[in-house]
Amino acid sequence: MKGLELIKKAMKLEEVERIPWVPFVGSHAGAMLGLTATEFLQSTDKIVEGVNKAIKKYNPDGIPVAFDLQIEAEALGCELAWADDNPPAVISHPLMNGMSLEDLKVPCPCKGRIPTVMDATRRLRDEHPDLALYGLITGPFTLALHLLGTDIFMQMMMEPEKTHKLMRFATDVALMMAGNYIESGADVIAIVDPMTSQIDPDSFATFVSPYVKEINDFIREAGALSSFFVCGNAKQNIEVMCQTNPDNISIDENIPLDFVRDMALKHNVSFGGNIKLTVVLLMGDEDASRRDALDCMDIGGKKGFILAPGCDLAMETPEANLVAVSELVHDELLQGELRASEAKGMDIELLDLSSHWAKDKVVIDVITLDSSSCAPCQYMMDAVARAAEPFGDKVVYKEHRIKEKEGVQMMASLGVQNLPTIVMDGNIDFISQIPPINDIKSKIEGYLANK
Amino acid sequence: MNEILEQIAICVESGKINNASPFPPQMKGQDGADELTKQALDSGITAGEILQGGLMIGMEKVGVKFRENKVFVPQVLMSAKAMSAAMEHLKPFFASGEAERKGIFIIGTVEGDLHDIGKNLVAMMVEGNGYEVIDLGTDVKAEKFIEEAEKHPGSVIGLSALLTTTMNNMEKIVKAIKDNDASRKVCIGGAPVNDEFCQRIGADSYNPDPQGVVEFLNSQAS
Repeated sequence: MKGLELIKKAMKLEEVERIPWVPFVGSHAGAMLGLTATEFLQSTDKIVEGVNKAIKKYNPDGIPVAFDLQIEAEALGCELAWADDNPPAVISHPLMNGMSLEDLKVPCPCKGRIPTVMDATRRLRDEHPDLALYGLITGPFTLALHLLGTDIFMQMMMEPEKTHKLMRFATDVALMMAGNYIESGADVIAIVDPMTSQIDPDSFATFVSPYVKEINDFIREAGALSSFFVCGNAKQNIEVMCQTNPDNISIDENIPLDFVRDMALKHNVSFGGNIKLTVVLLMGDEDASRRDALDCMDIGGKKGFILAPGCDLAMETPEANLVAVSELVHDELLQGELRASEAKGMDIELLDLSSHWAKDKVVIDVITLDSSSCAPCQYMMDAVARAAEPFGDKVVYKEHRIKEKEGVQMMASLGVQNLPTIVMDGNIDFISQIPPINDIKSKIEGYLANK
Repeated sequence: MNEILEQIAICVESGKINNASPFPPQMKGQDGADELTKQALDSGITAGEILQGGLMIGMEKVGVKFRENKVFVPQVLMSAKAMSAAMEHLKPFFASGEAERKGIFIIGTVEGDLHDIGKNLVAMMVEGNGYEVIDLGTDVKAEKFIEEAEKHPGSVIGLSALLTTTMNNMEKIVKAIKDNDASRKVCIGGAPVNDEFCQRIGADSYNPDPQGVVEFLNSQAS
């Protein structure tokens, strides 16, 4: 199924055949091109080229056009400090430096780098009609913080009506950005509001909820999907976030995924996350990346879950780690093998197979994921059944599904590493590939001759 | 315990800066940390007693509530503001040596990182718990940390990073500090950092919250 459809299904909380995968490739795509963040994030051509490279390499179902929460702030006159290996940072807050809110206007979409990302969205839309394109906008609270600085925390307490005015303005900017992204072809608008992780649920409900709800309604009205992203530990606010009525929430590794799953599904909101950005994707190896992704997938499940890193990928994340995750997502057999090998690491009780073998019969064990859902497993089972048929009761064969505990125990007891595998009288004879029926037959004959 | 010190502790805990402050609403019209500290000094209570018996007790309560997710950044900032209003009255006594701090803590965000909310919170909480805090600000290079630490024997360094990329700079800075003086204690914190990373880069302590830093410093001071 095409990525966009898969993501739509997940966001509608329908069961999916495969968990969709959305790598949050931001300036990491610049690194893939050998560019600095500064070179990358200021050029439509480079953004399009980088995202294309990431699409080719990571085979995603959806991808952000750009991950840069400073675009709106820059267009509003905040000064940016550019860096080689990070998106820029806001270093001046106009409302702290003498400017008043009345002086600020919602920027024209022609200002700053807004056209850069909108052009990139249009081009990527044309090139990838079946992929979910994410347009990322700065969440209103984070934008308010860019404009006023950390004084906003005190202002909330001392002069709440002023904070409301500022949030109103930041929301108008967010609506402008969301509208432009949707017009340019984005399917999902991600409201990225990491600073909300710093406030309590009451403050969120007072100063953030009404505004984010308005943005979500606007996005829905325009026929797009909304996702609320929060990087950082915002566990306390997951419920109030879900109550703003987004289609999806996406969270980082600071928050346990099972907690988010239960809370999101309770409120009929889909959810995404939360492969560990740093210790796993940035610093770990392919194996660690695969395992962490599998953990997320097993917790997330096939209803309402989108696999993604916790937040914007670090620029220097090894490409191999993301390729490893991508391969895992698209390969159910690999998932099964990995699951089984993890079970082996835990204390799996090995089976006593002494009574499993027979003096006058060949015993065939086929280790599968599950032949009813996995095509190669099914063909292998069919091949074994057909090869065994002419031998009558001289051959017994059995499928061991590693979705079940017995299957995992059998896999470990027989020393099997791959799926599916045919084991004959305890010998691993055929791995992964479906053998010709005659090959299986001649093996059976060989074993019988030696009985 | 002295009633006025108890009152000061309550003001710090609930973020009541001064009489004019509307926050928290239920303490409207009451004296805040500012006025009460002045009154305490006038009544002959020493600066050290006010710090230990009032401010530190209030800050510790806030630190614990913050750790337990019962209060968040806005509330902690209000507490810190209340505390610094009180500290204004006490500073002359520390400067003259009449009252003593528990130790010196040097803090900054690592080179390349301009995000300082977390660092500021830690600085305020540590100061509120009786330490002198030297805040080197944001985007601080290893040499700057080392230079400052050399001026203050026995001081502890705290490094903050918000970005995954500047975590690498954290590693470099820890190494430079330890190469210069292996016995210098360095603690680290920030959103992407964890205990595993702390051990890997050879830092002495990782804490997920400011109160943890205070506890680490206390363990070093005793």
